Amino acid sequence: MCLGVPMQVVEHDGITARCEAKGIERSVSLFLLQHEDIKPGDHVMVHVGYAIQKMTAEDAKISWELLDEMLTEEELMGNA
Amino acid sequence: MTDARTWLERIRALPLEGKIRVMNVCGGHERSISMAGLRGALPPEIELIPGPGCPVCVCPEEDIYTAVQLAMRPDTILVAFGDMLRVPCNAPKNEPRTLEQARAAGGEVRPVASPSEARRIANENPDKEVVFFAAGFETTTAPVAGLVAEGIPANMSVLLSGRLTWPAVAMLLDSETPGFDALIAPGHVSAIMGPEEWTFVPEKHGIPSSVSGFETPSLLASLYSVLRQYLDGKAFLDNTYINVAKPGGNPTARRLLDMTMDVVDSTWRGIGTIPASGFALKPAYAEHDALVRFQIDPKQARKRIGEMPPGCDCARVVLGKLYPNQCALYGKACTPRNPIGPCMVSDEGACHIWWSSGVRPDTPQEAVSAHY
Ligand code: SF4
Repeated sequence: MCLGVPMQVVEHDGITARCEAKGIERSVSLFLLQHEDIKPGDHVMVHVGYAIQKMTAEDAKISWELLDEMLTEEELMGNA
Repeated sequence: MTDARTWLERIRALPLEGKIRVMNVCGGHERSISMAGLRGALPPEIELIPGPGCPVCVCPEEDIYTAVQLAMRPDTILVAFGDMLRVPCNAPKNEPRTLEQARAAGGEVRPVASPSEARRIANENPDKEVVFFAAGFETTTAPVAGLVAEGIPANMSVLLSGRLTWPAVAMLLDSETPGFDALIAPGHVSAIMGPEEWTFVPEKHGIPSSVSGFETPSLLASLYSVLRQYLDGKAFLDNTYINVAKPGGNPTARRLLDMTMDVVDSTWRGIGTIPASGFALKPAYAEHDALVRFQIDPKQARKRIGEMPPGCDCARVVLGKLYPNQCALYGKACTPRNPIGPCMVSDEGACHIWWSSGVRPDTPQEAVSAHY
């Protein structure tokens, strides 16, 4: 449950974002990132449907590589 | 960023002597370690111990029993993270022992991956009571706090089994046999609460520590750091996940946790009560607290309340006192297909992780650990 999946913000309305990872889109709550200025293109760490931290594109990429090795796509999106 | 191979070489070059026991307290870390086969790749002096990193495993037996009872109410939909559905409680023989069995017996149980999904189910079923059974550590409890703060539907309540990670480590360290010499601290818990939460480990107990991410390079960098600290005799809190586990953590998440929840003494399954180790909804949200709403006393008289299933050594596995394959039932009576205890049910349980990474009852111990 604590794994978390990095996703890229496609667009958002301030509360909910449409995020993408590996071609799959999810609706993600930005409620816990009220203190951040989130723009389309930003990367966020997503945990149980909530973005918990903003992160760099480079860190997101490293994370994806690990998740690729460890999880099937279905598990991956189950965690996001 | 330095790659995994370089970190491994640096670790192998350290002048290690005797055993050094490094504990992790995160199912994600244990999963990365097991899947990458790190135990076999490291010098034999290093023992990597999975510690209290599985919220499902320590979720009180009485909470699971309560969830099963609520699921059996005709007017109620019980919503829970998928991991919780197969965790058994100690119910009498012909009653359902898991949420899955409750569902088979006619109860309405729905697995979700997010608190927002739980809210959607409540909105779509206004004539039903929707109970969200929320078990998890800080990383999961913060989104639940967000959900509560944002406002939840009138027909929805939360059965909260949120736990804090550090008090379990503090309890181990305050005991006579902590069982570890260095700590890899959890990255996503720190992303929420702030890495500073872990400074008591080096400062009060002199135990080398490092907050780590989930990727092999980050884990190995943390491992190298704690080994260097150990060899140099200088313990401090390092952080190899600084871009996510930022100083101070996530200020909004912490504010919402403070706003909606109190930190209370809480039961850990098979372990007992740990002071200030759990979250409870504040009285202001009592109408959305399932225990208040349905007038449940989770401590009502029942047999074997609080215990693990008979024969299951999960509590000692969780505390890092026993490796999964040292349980007499591991891989025999207990497999992911037929799990006996929560450590074999949850993706974050050490038994499940070890089984998934190929450890079988006949795997020689030296292949999976340097325990002997
Ligand atoms: S192998 Fe099964 S019975 Fe043994 S500790 Fe793990 S979960 Fe419990």
